[in-house]
Amino acid sequence: MTDLALRCTGAEVTYTIRSHRPLIRDLLRGHRPAAQKIHALRGVTFDVHVGESVGVVGPNGSGKTTMLQATTGLLPVSAGEIRVRSVPAFLGVQAVLRNQLTGRRNIEIGLLAQGLDRAAVDHLLPSVAEFTGLGDAIDMRMETYSSGMRARLHFAVATATSPEILLIDEALAVGDRTFHEKSAQRLDEHRANAGTVLLVSHNLAEIRRSCERVIWLQSGLIVADGPTDEVLAAYEAS
Amino acid sequence: MTTNAPLPQSYDGLFPVGRSTPLGEYLRELWVRRDYIVRVPLAELRSQNAHTLLGGIWLILNPLLQVGVYFLVFGVIMPIDRGVDSYLVFLTLGVFAFHYSQRVISDGARSVVSSMGLIRTLRFPRATLPLSNSVGQAVAFGPVFAVMLVVVLAHGNVPTVRWLLLPVLFGLQTLFSLGASLLTARFNHLYRDLENLLPFVFRLLFYVSGVLYSVDHYVDEALLRALFALNPMYVYVTAWRWVMVGGPATAVEGLAAVAWALVTLVVGFAVFRAGENTYGRTG
Repeated sequence: MTDLALRCTGAEVTYTIRSHRPLIRDLLRGHRPAAQKIHALRGVTFDVHVGESVGVVGPNGSGKTTMLQATTGLLPVSAGEIRVRSVPAFLGVQAVLRNQLTGRRNIEIGLLAQGLDRAAVDHLLPSVAEFTGLGDAIDMRMETYSSGMRARLHFAVATATSPEILLIDEALAVGDRTFHEKSAQRLDEHRANAGTVLLVSHNLAEIRRSCERVIWLQSGLIVADGPTDEVLAAYEAS
Repeated sequence: MTTNAPLPQSYDGLFPVGRSTPLGEYLRELWVRRDYIVRVPLAELRSQNAHTLLGGIWLILNPLLQVGVYFLVFGVIMPIDRGVDSYLVFLTLGVFAFHYSQRVISDGARSVVSSMGLIRTLRFPRATLPLSNSVGQAVAFGPVFAVMLVVVLAHGNVPTVRWLLLPVLFGLQTLFSLGASLLTARFNHLYRDLENLLPFVFRLLFYVSGVLYSVDHYVDEALLRALFALNPMYVYVTAWRWVMVGGPATAVEGLAAVAWALVTLVVGFAVFRAGENTYGRTG
């Protein structure tokens, strides 16, 4: 055993984008809607070690989110391989649990779905609810939440069970300053407990604060991979 | 340290993402989530009638009103002979037994597609979703069963030894419905068209399963009767009447009730699990 948390070897992800899904009339006539292949990742290779915190930067459409999703296994790689020590938890901005239910119920469902038993959930719920900092809004339905409030709740749920590998997709960008501080704190604790973080963000200050290493993606390829200061300096100069 | 734990899958202790979980581990993961499977549907049942005046009373009022409508239409307005003695009892058992499976299967079809947020966020065995739907429907069947009991007893039927088979029958029908809902959940995720089609499939099944009339009364030929056993809904509807009020049934229906439950569950689970890694995918 080594201290590897994640190994990505020549990973490629190709989307097939069609103008629309093939409808029955297309299938009958034997023609498929015009398909366009998008090479979102074109062979990405890197290792992440246990306890490392890696920032991922790059312009829109450079494959950052695709890379995180492929790492969770939600997107299949078309070539190469992604191997992990344990299945990573993914935090995205758009993620919602159940809109119709209150924040508190969503926490409960999220914790139960992660395999905690009733007693553990009852025990953890107050502290997770507290951590979200949502106050009374925790008992309101999630459809009434702003994107920042969702992100808070989601971050609290996903980190409550301390997954070994945490993938964060801009989730912190929408929170306010107090929450930023709290979440940065929790990420520090997470890393202190040998947790691994991959953080996609356009907020370079945040990456400077939480990551010692940065991967710079451009058009699905790694441009640079190294210490935060060096890579960000090059990225900002570009 | 020596343990009997299986060796890491490779020298670096990593495993490929998106690999399929071995059956044993998958079942264990489901077992770990038993609190989710029971607690979430119960809470949903409670919140279902949150915006009504009568609240939880609806769970029992709903089946009562249904029976009331049938009684009005078939007992008072057009009381014609349909080849059965007490038509209200006959109808009540048939309708509720049928609706139970219908609810499990059609709500189960939506169980995966309505939880995309959860699926894309958290890792858990996806069969948790149809399974917890099935548990919720089984619990909701409680008040319905109470109404069935009242109707049967009020009509002068007395409990017989056959009633001991009720848990077995309910269990078999639940397994069948769960299996079918695993199938519909997967295919509805693939093509949502299924969701639009299902109401019509059930409407058709409703008319060919002897819910409203006695198949026994109209179909004498043994071969034709055996053909009806190929329709699981007919099988369970008939079995309910046989168990509760001694309606006509043969060993064929009994065997079919067992066979449909086991085969559908195994096939449904296998088909659902084969799609495990596709649920929630964007590409």
